[in-house]
Amino acid sequence: MPDDWRAAWQPVVDAVGGDFGDGEAIEGADAVDQSALRRFLEPLEFDCPLHQEDGLAPLSSYFTFVAPPIWQPGGDPVFTSDERDAQPDGVGQRRFLTGLEPPHTGYFAADFELEPLLPVVVGDRLTRTGRKLVACELKETSVGRGAFMTWEWEARNQRDEVVARFRNTMYVYNGPED
Amino acid sequence: MDWSEQRYWEDVETGAEVPPVAFPLTVYRLVVEAGANRDFNSIHHNSEYARASGAPEIYANTGFLLGMWERTVREFIGLRGSIRHIAGFRMRRFNTAGATVVVRGLVKSKRRENGEALVELELWSELDDTITVGPGIVTVQMPVRT
Repeated sequence: MPDDWRAAWQPVVDAVGGDFGDGEAIEGADAVDQSALRRFLEPLEFDCPLHQEDGLAPLSSYFTFVAPPIWQPGGDPVFTSDERDAQPDGVGQRRFLTGLEPPHTGYFAADFELEPLLPVVVGDRLTRTGRKLVACELKETSVGRGAFMTWEWEARNQRDEVVARFRNTMYVYNGPED
Repeated sequence: MDWSEQRYWEDVETGAEVPPVAFPLTVYRLVVEAGANRDFNSIHHNSEYARASGAPEIYANTGFLLGMWERTVREFIGLRGSIRHIAGFRMRRFNTAGATVVVRGLVKSKRRENGEALVELELWSELDDTITVGPGIVTVQMPVRT
């Protein structure tokens, strides 16, 4: 049945408008520091003194500073397999998903919107809050069948001030061999 | 880049080109990028994994592509400008290792609003003369001479 895959996505379509963040604030692994900024700027060959010297975080680094740790002290081991391409345990749990998606083999970013509200500087620590599903468009593409899922969320600093609002679209799909 | 030079709102003309910036992509550079921006999704640094996902090769992640736009815009607006909004950052095609991404742009419009001097830049990324990201709109505030 060619439309079975669409039916499998209907629960996600029906969930549009829901906030799947459960009120959780996901803290970034590290505070903003000058060495992290230097490393971020290095592959971009970006020599702007605002970032290299004055401690202002580039807008494009906000993703980095809201990224949670892969593993942290006291946590269970996450590198539990020696299979060549094994992923760390739990790495998929923080992705932009509802939990209602049908089985899928791939996931990548497709669209992005950013509204910065406050500067982020050395010493700040960011958290990601909110995870509202605002759209779910089903589509078959060259890599498979799936859905473009659009989310809204915020980044906050250690004073609980919203420093930026984000809207990003992820394509979640099942490859053609499946 | 000479950061002592500052472009002002009055200097900007609608339709003018934003100077392009080229980013040759190699496996080495993408691995450095993954470590720097902590996007460790294997599609960005593991060719076998990327190909199994349907991509032709490992490809640049969102933070890297956005950083390319930010550098291009910052070099245009100078130290006294600021980025107010980024929209239309649509990643249409994979920006793969073994190719060069060029970020290009045009001045779409300029206006005064609530005492601020704003400019809308239309930006896009190209790979082999094909648009891979955008075109999107980056709204910036620029300093005025008086």
